[in-house]
Amino acid sequence: MNAKLKETILNPLFKGNPITVLVLGICSSLAVTVTMKGALVMALSVIVVTGISSLILSLLRKTIPGRVRIIVQLVVVAMMVILVDQILKSFEATYAIDKQLSVYIGLIITNCIVMGRIEAFALGNKPWPSFLDGVANGAGYGLILLIVAFFRELLGSGTLFGIDILNRFGYVPNNLVILPPFALILLGCIVWVQRSIQKDLQEK
Amino acid sequence: MNTNNNLYTVIYTSVIVIVVAALLAFVSQSLKSRQDANEKADTISQMLTAAGYASKAELGKLGNTAVLDKYAAEIEKAFVIDLEGNELRTLGIEREGIEVYSPKQLKRQNYNIKGGPNKTGDPELPVFLFKNGRTVVPIYGAGLWGPIWGYISFEKDLGTIGGAYFDHESETAGLGAKIKDDPSFQAEFIGEKADFADANVFDIVKGGAPKDAEGKSVVDNKIDAITGATMTSNGLDAAIDTWLAAYSAWFSANAPKGCDKPCCSGEDHKCEEE
Repeated sequence: MNAKLKETILNPLFKGNPITVLVLGICSSLAVTVTMKGALVMALSVIVVTGISSLILSLLRKTIPGRVRIIVQLVVVAMMVILVDQILKSFEATYAIDKQLSVYIGLIITNCIVMGRIEAFALGNKPWPSFLDGVANGAGYGLILLIVAFFRELLGSGTLFGIDILNRFGYVPNNLVILPPFALILLGCIVWVQRSIQKDLQEK
Repeated sequence: MNTNNNLYTVIYTSVIVIVVAALLAFVSQSLKSRQDANEKADTISQMLTAAGYASKAELGKLGNTAVLDKYAAEIEKAFVIDLEGNELRTLGIEREGIEVYSPKQLKRQNYNIKGGPNKTGDPELPVFLFKNGRTVVPIYGAGLWGPIWGYISFEKDLGTIGGAYFDHESETAGLGAKIKDDPSFQAEFIGEKADFADANVFDIVKGGAPKDAEGKSVVDNKIDAITGATMTSNGLDAAIDTWLAAYSAWFSANAPKGCDKPCCSGEDHKCEEE
């Protein structure tokens, strides 16, 4: 694998993370990070949507009329989101999680990461790198989601993946942690940590 | 090729939209039966939970087939009544032809009970009698963000609540969602009595229901609301009042007379357990 492809895959995970550096997809990261399970399914869904819609639009990129390109992107992304939602609803194993995530699966379409990567990358690159870029950005998003969900489920419910961790020691779940503002505070802390490691992100 | 040509743009967008629409319609149609089966098994497991057969989590682990088997084995009779309490028709209870009300059907009946522009006909309300003697009826209403619904089971005296399970579409996780996720909230209903003579058939009280020194609720048809979820609690309260009031004619006609124990039924007013 050449260096450029490697950069495409690794950059979104940390150095150019869509949430902490590009500050995209904040809204849904506040909403679906109450439980690990929810965050994991959401992360996988976003990876599938960003990966495949980047691939499709990169294949179509030379044929898309410039004036309606956003509309064409929306149609493809919406299609992928509906497909993911329909498939999650169809299996016994994922039905309950889909029910729990409810509107947020549908709202992947409004996740700026998807459209952002298509505009910035897929429309100007070949299909394979575009696909990898989509997947990697979805994964970078998912990574932050899981970190936030880890703290929120542990402190907010005393469990991880629904398995009791802290409650058995008499821990009283903290309601503040479950509310969206706490996710924002946690995200702030993650950005803080990242910026102190990566000095080039600090404004002069 | 000039991709900015008007004709090209129109044809291109039309083709894309038609292809995507056809694909989605195909996928939706081919997955519909699976989705309906999942929803039906979910509904049935909610009723079994309310009737006290197992917890929702246990039923969730069983899988769809086992849940339907259990329902077919435990259901005594299921039928539809009108507002006067008359039986209109029976619902299928055989393993291959189980009929239940999906949340969508409950929504339609909710409009029919409440009247207004969305009313499509007279209410047709389902009643489910289980072999353990409990009667399960659904409730449906509006929470804070979306619909909430659930099932309440009654003991043989048709007044004492034997169990309850509630579900919602999009209540706040950790607050309003507790109506579904917090077993201790649902457990509060057990042993309470619905008061069909009162306009407030059942009350979910903000600030705490009256309690005795041991922390037991002293008024039969009142329980505590959920802290931080006033709107969801009020919505659930309204949903229960509206639906139980709609069932009240059937309940008063079928409740055993002169009987003050939850377990007694029939003419002789005797408890089977005694």
